[in-house]
Amino acid sequence: MADKEQAEYFKELSDAVLDMDEERTVTAAQDALDNSIDPYEAIQNGLSDGMARAGQLFEDEEYFIPELLMCSDAMYAGLDVLKPHLKATGESRGTVVIGVIEGDTHDIGKNMVRIMFETGGFHVIDLGRDVPPQRFVDTARESKADIIALSTLMTTTMDGMGTVVKLLNESDLRAGVKVMVGGGPISPGFAKRIGADGYAVNAAEAVKVARELVARDAVGAA
Amino acid sequence: MSISPKQRLLDTLAKKRVDRPPVICTGGMMNAAIVEVMTTTGHTLPEAHFQADRMATLAGDIHDGTGFENLGIPFCMTVEAEVLGSEIDFGSLACEPKIGRELFGSVKEVRFRDVNTMLDSGRIREVAGAAGLLARTHPDQPVIGSLTGPVSTAASLVSPMQFLKELRKEREAAHRVMDYVSTFLVAFARALVDSGATAICIGDPTATGEILGPRMFDEYAVTYLNKIIDGIHSAGVPVLVHICGEMKAVKPSLPLLHSDAISTDAFVNLKLLKEEYPQITTMGNLSTILLESGDPEKVARRTETLVREGIDIISPACGLSTSTSLEAIRAMTGVVKER
Repeated sequence: MADKEQAEYFKELSDAVLDMDEERTVTAAQDALDNSIDPYEAIQNGLSDGMARAGQLFEDEEYFIPELLMCSDAMYAGLDVLKPHLKATGESRGTVVIGVIEGDTHDIGKNMVRIMFETGGFHVIDLGRDVPPQRFVDTARESKADIIALSTLMTTTMDGMGTVVKLLNESDLRAGVKVMVGGGPISPGFAKRIGADGYAVNAAEAVKVARELVARDAVGAA
Repeated sequence: MSISPKQRLLDTLAKKRVDRPPVICTGGMMNAAIVEVMTTTGHTLPEAHFQADRMATLAGDIHDGTGFENLGIPFCMTVEAEVLGSEIDFGSLACEPKIGRELFGSVKEVRFRDVNTMLDSGRIREVAGAAGLLARTHPDQPVIGSLTGPVSTAASLVSPMQFLKELRKEREAAHRVMDYVSTFLVAFARALVDSGATAICIGDPTATGEILGPRMFDEYAVTYLNKIIDGIHSAGVPVLVHICGEMKAVKPSLPLLHSDAISTDAFVNLKLLKEEYPQITTMGNLSTILLESGDPEKVARRTETLVREGIDIISPACGLSTSTSLEAIRAMTGVVKER
């Protein structure tokens, strides 16, 4: 098969995701399978590429949350077609425990970050919204997570973020688990003050920060 | 002789010249029901969410303790969603109520009910009753009734992730839901005004530029905020609107709002906003993070800067943390009143 042809399948998948077109994405995914395109590559170079481009438009303030959500719906629809045909699960970049801190039921930002993590190759455990601090630490222990990602939109719940770091420090897990925070009222200064390892201003940046944190950790361990 | 706080606020909102800016905290999303007030007086949440007399008493305690020049009710953003049928978790003394579960999964599923009969359900009459009590006990102070804005209320009735997508995908049904919610909000506001509320404040934290983007902010937030503001204006009282977020994307939309004042988050430079749009009466925007940090000197300094910059109404920039200290809040209110 010529490379050019393969690239065209990827491009169609990527464009369909970027254009928020669920049906077109499903058709493109089926089309790729029918023409013996490797499903793993179709996900990486097609669907994920579309989400990455959508993330870029979000950073450029051309796309906003509704657009990004519709892109992710298209991406997941394509994923449903391709996933059953994966030979073996691709190498995961790491495990992320994510949730909205107790007292806050705003989970739009958290859901966006989850989507970007998943498309970025992370295994994500989503604890949902209104999560007590201890549960983050317990789940990180059970799942051998690399990262705890905390989000809040409310200043009233920011204390809970510090509590998670504190609980983690008191446990034996601190060396292996990075904490990253984000959300409306959070600033890099606040992240530093509570002892978090990373801060991201939005979902697209969160996945970049997570990759850096995991990579830095691997270097540190080597 | 100096004018009453109520007159000062009304004059400010009417763009009349006043001796100094009012310093207020509207209630609702931006309420000052902090733990220290409640533990001092023994008048506590969550009980005060449910009964007019308890709500009025706590609002009075907050006014006395903090020095804010108004009475602000209610102390949550769930009165509207409860009446519309969503499940509410009423929280605790230190943790404010929140939506437990939205009633509908899609804008297409929403069943429309008669708005007037809804006014007799949930806590509407209790909040209105509290406004009435406060207007009688504090005739010189403005009583501000706070509403949850139309986008946030709709996103409390319909599952928010689905709702946001449907603003694009199901425009017609989304507009019907927004219209329904707005009609209800006008009726709720009018019940508050009839009971004696001096002004209404609308906080719509889901309607930010970051979430909606400029096009949908105009199509939904501006359209329905204006519908509500117009409805309240025809009842004869002024309206304050709080917009969350950085506002870069939606700044040009601000002059389109019919409100009598616009309040913003701490990121926004209100002085520059005023220079750009001199017609806007600005309100804000003392960082609630600074307030919570509790250093009275820093709080006073920053507040003084806001006053010096000519911000028309001094107010916290967002919801206060319930662990904020009275000392910090008094530093804020004190420095405005000294002038």
